[in-house]
Amino acid sequence: MSKDFRAPQAFVLGDEVPESKSPTKSKAKVPRLEYEVEPTLPEVLPAPETSTPAPHRRFRWLFILASAAFGLIAMGATLSITQLIEAFFARSPVWGWLALGLAGLLAFAALAIILREITGLLRLNKIETLQEKSSRAINLDERASADSALAELEAIYANRTDMKWHLDQFKTHRNDILDPRDRMHLADRHLMQPLDTMAHKIIARRARRVTLLTTVTPAAALDILFVASQNLGMLREIATLYGGKPSTLATLRLARMVVTHLAITGGLSLSDSFIQHFIGKGLLGRLSARFGEGAVNGILTARIGLAATALCRPIPRQAATSESLTSLLREIFTFGSDATQPGEKQS
Amino acid sequence: MSDVKFSEIFGSGRMAAGGLQDFATGFLHPTVRLGVTGLSRAGKTVFITALVHALLNGARLPMFEAHAKGRISRCYLEPQPNDDLPRFAYEEHLAALVGENRRWPEGTRRISQLRLTFEYEPQGFLARQFHGGKLHVDIIDYPGEWLLDLPLMTQTYPQWSSATLALARKPPRLVHAEPWLELLKHSNPEDPQNEMQALEISQSFTTYLARCRDSDMSLSTLPPGRFLMPGDLAGSPLLTFAPLDVAADALPAPHSLAALMARRYDSYVAKVVKPFFRDHFSRLDRQIVMVDVLSALNAGPAAVADLQTALNDVLSCFRIGRNSLLSELFGRKVERLLFAATKADQLHHTDHDQLENILRTLIESTSQSAENLGAQHDVAALASIRSTREARVTQNYTEIPCIVGTPMAGEKIGRTVFDGEKEAAVFPGDLPKQASAALDGQMQGKLHFVRFRPPSSSSETFPHIRLDRTIEFLLGDRFA
Repeated sequence: MSKDFRAPQAFVLGDEVPESKSPTKSKAKVPRLEYEVEPTLPEVLPAPETSTPAPHRRFRWLFILASAAFGLIAMGATLSITQLIEAFFARSPVWGWLALGLAGLLAFAALAIILREITGLLRLNKIETLQEKSSRAINLDERASADSALAELEAIYANRTDMKWHLDQFKTHRNDILDPRDRMHLADRHLMQPLDTMAHKIIARRARRVTLLTTVTPAAALDILFVASQNLGMLREIATLYGGKPSTLATLRLARMVVTHLAITGGLSLSDSFIQHFIGKGLLGRLSARFGEGAVNGILTARIGLAATALCRPIPRQAATSESLTSLLREIFTFGSDATQPGEKQS
Repeated sequence: MSDVKFSEIFGSGRMAAGGLQDFATGFLHPTVRLGVTGLSRAGKTVFITALVHALLNGARLPMFEAHAKGRISRCYLEPQPNDDLPRFAYEEHLAALVGENRRWPEGTRRISQLRLTFEYEPQGFLARQFHGGKLHVDIIDYPGEWLLDLPLMTQTYPQWSSATLALARKPPRLVHAEPWLELLKHSNPEDPQNEMQALEISQSFTTYLARCRDSDMSLSTLPPGRFLMPGDLAGSPLLTFAPLDVAADALPAPHSLAALMARRYDSYVAKVVKPFFRDHFSRLDRQIVMVDVLSALNAGPAAVADLQTALNDVLSCFRIGRNSLLSELFGRKVERLLFAATKADQLHHTDHDQLENILRTLIESTSQSAENLGAQHDVAALASIRSTREARVTQNYTEIPCIVGTPMAGEKIGRTVFDGEKEAAVFPGDLPKQASAALDGQMQGKLHFVRFRPPSSSSETFPHIRLDRTIEFLLGDRFA
C-alpha cells in the first residue's frame, strides 16, 4: 500500500441530477493517488517448470517436403490460370474478361473460406480463454476476471434471438452489488442452463440416431462412417449452440480436444464400463448382438456429446458429468416418439 | 458442590425435553429457528424488518435460489406461536422506515419473535409426501448483550469481579470508571451487608457501563447485559450487584457485603442467564451475528480491539452452547452461523472484500480458531436496506469512488456538516488492503463513515446489498 492516502471527503449536491453533478466544494489540494490497478490477489500457483530437457528434435524434413510441394502446386495453379486467362484474351477479349471474372470470384471465395476458418478457430480459442476466466472468477472470487468474462459472454449472445429473453433477464441484475462469484452463478443460471437443456436434447437425439443406424446398417464399414458423421454433426451443433462458429478446421480441432478430454477424465470410468458391459454383452447383447453394439455406440456418442458440452460451455460446469450421463441414458433408452424398438424386430 | 451438579443435570433434562418436543413438532411442521443478534446499534431490527419485507413483497433476491427459481409459492406472517414471547413489532418498524419523516427504527430492547411461513415446491419425493412444502421460520431477535452474559454461567462471583475490575482499570475505560472506582475504595468487601450501599455501588457501576457504551469509544464488552438492557427486569433486586475488590479465588465471609453481592450474582445467573440459555439460545438452528465494524473503525483502534474481545466472547458462547452434556444427544445445535458486517452501503462496493477481510480477521485472530465451532460459518458484508447509490466524482483529474445518499442530520465530514435534507456524495476513505492495518491503529483518522437516512425509494421494495446471499446461506438448504 502506498504511503499517501485519500482523505475522507464529501461533496454536497444541489438539486441537480446526481449523474451530472459537479463538486460544489473543492479543496485547494487533493493528494493525487492512482489506484493500484491490481490489488494483491491470491496468486494462482504456477505450474512447476518441467526440468527435463526437451527431446532432441529431429529436423522436420517431411514438413519441408510438404510445404515445398504445396508451394509448387500453388505456383503451378496460378501459372496455369494466368496462362488460361491470357489464352482466352488472345482468342477474344469477352472470353478473357469472363475468365478473369471467374478467376477473381475463385480467389474471393477462397479468401472467404480461409477467413471463416480463421474466425472459427479464433472463436474456439476465445471460448477456451473465457472458460479460464470464468473459473478464475468462480474459484478465486476475482472481480476483474468476472467483469471481462461477463462482457464477452454478453457480446457472444447479443445477436442471438433465442437468447434475447434470457440475456435481458440477466441484465436486470447489472446494477445489483454482487460478489463476482455470485454474479457468475447468476450468469450460469440465466444464460447457460437454458442452453444446457437444448444441448441435452441434441445429444439425446444424435445418440438415439446412432443406436438406430448401427443396429440396422448391414455392413460394419458403413456403420463407422455413420457414427463418425453423426458425431461430427453433433459437435458442430453443440458448438454453434454455445456460441462457437464451427468451421471445418475448428470442428476437427474440437474433435481432437474431445478425444483428449475423454482420455483425461477417464473415458472408461468404472461405472460406465459396467453399463457398457451390461448393455453390450449382457442382457441387450443376448437379445440382439447388433442392438447391443448400437447401444454401446449410442452411449459413446452421449459421452462425446457431454465432453463437447464441457469444452464448449463458456462457464465451466459445476455438476458432475456422470450425473448427466445417467440422466441422458435414461432419455436415450426411453426412445422418444421418433424411434421404434428395433431390437425386438431383429431377434 | 453436589447441588450444583444436580441443578445442572436438571437443567440439561429440561433442555433435552424441550429439544424432544421441538423434534416431535418439527417432524410434522418443519420449523427453523433463526437467531438474530448483535451488539446494540448493529442493525438487527433493520435486518429483520428488511428480510420480512423483502420476502413478503417479492423483492428481487437473485441469489436466494428457491425464491429466484419461483419455487416459493407463498410467504406470510403467522400469528405469534409462543404466547409468552413478545412479537417483533414488524409493522411499527416498517412504518418508521417508510413514513413521512423516514428514520431508522428503534433498536432491540428485549427478546422478541416473529413467525414467517413459507409454502414452497419441495424437490424431494419424501418431503412432498410428508409436509407438502411448508416451512415455518421463527425469527428470534435478542440483544447481543444478553449473549455476552453466557460466560457468566461458568464463572463464580469473585472470578467475574476481578476480571471486570481489571478491565476497568485499563485505559480507555479508566476515564469512565473513575467515579465508580473511587466509590469502591471506600467500601470494604468485608463490611456487613447493607442494602443502601449495595444499591449505591450497583448504580455507580451501571452508570459506568452506560458511559462506556455511549461514549465515542464505542466499547462493546459490557456484561452483565441486563444492566444496560434491563427489559422487564428494570428495578429488580436481581440487578443490584456489582463487582467488588476481591481476589479471584477468595471466599466471601458470611453476611459480608461481598456475600450479598455474590448471592445476587448467583441468582442473576440462575434466574436470568440460564433460562435465556435453556429456553431460547440452546434451541436455535441458525444464527446471524450482526457486527458494526464501520463504527468501530470510526472510533479508533481501542474500539476495534474491544469489538474483537466481544466477538471472541460471542464465539466462546457458541462453544458453550455446543458442549453441554445432554444437548449432544437431544438439543439442537446452531448449524449455520453467519457474521455480517452491516451497513456495507456506507462504503463503495470495491471495498466490500476488505470489509469482509477485516471482520474475518477479527473473528479468526482470536486464540481459538473459528474452525472448531463445528457450525458452518461465513462472513458477509451486508446492507439489509441500501440507503446509498454509487457514483464517481472527478476532482483534479482523479476519479474518486463515492457513495451518494442523504446523510443524517448532524453528521459531519471534514468541515462539511450535513443537515439531513440535502444529498451528498461521500468518500469515506479507503479500507486498508491488509486487514491487520485496521487493528493496529494505522488507519486512525484516515477513515470516516457517515450514517445515512433510509432511502426515499419509490419502488415497492427496498434495495439491499447481499440480503439474498444471507438468506440463501441461512435458510437455503431447508427449501430442498
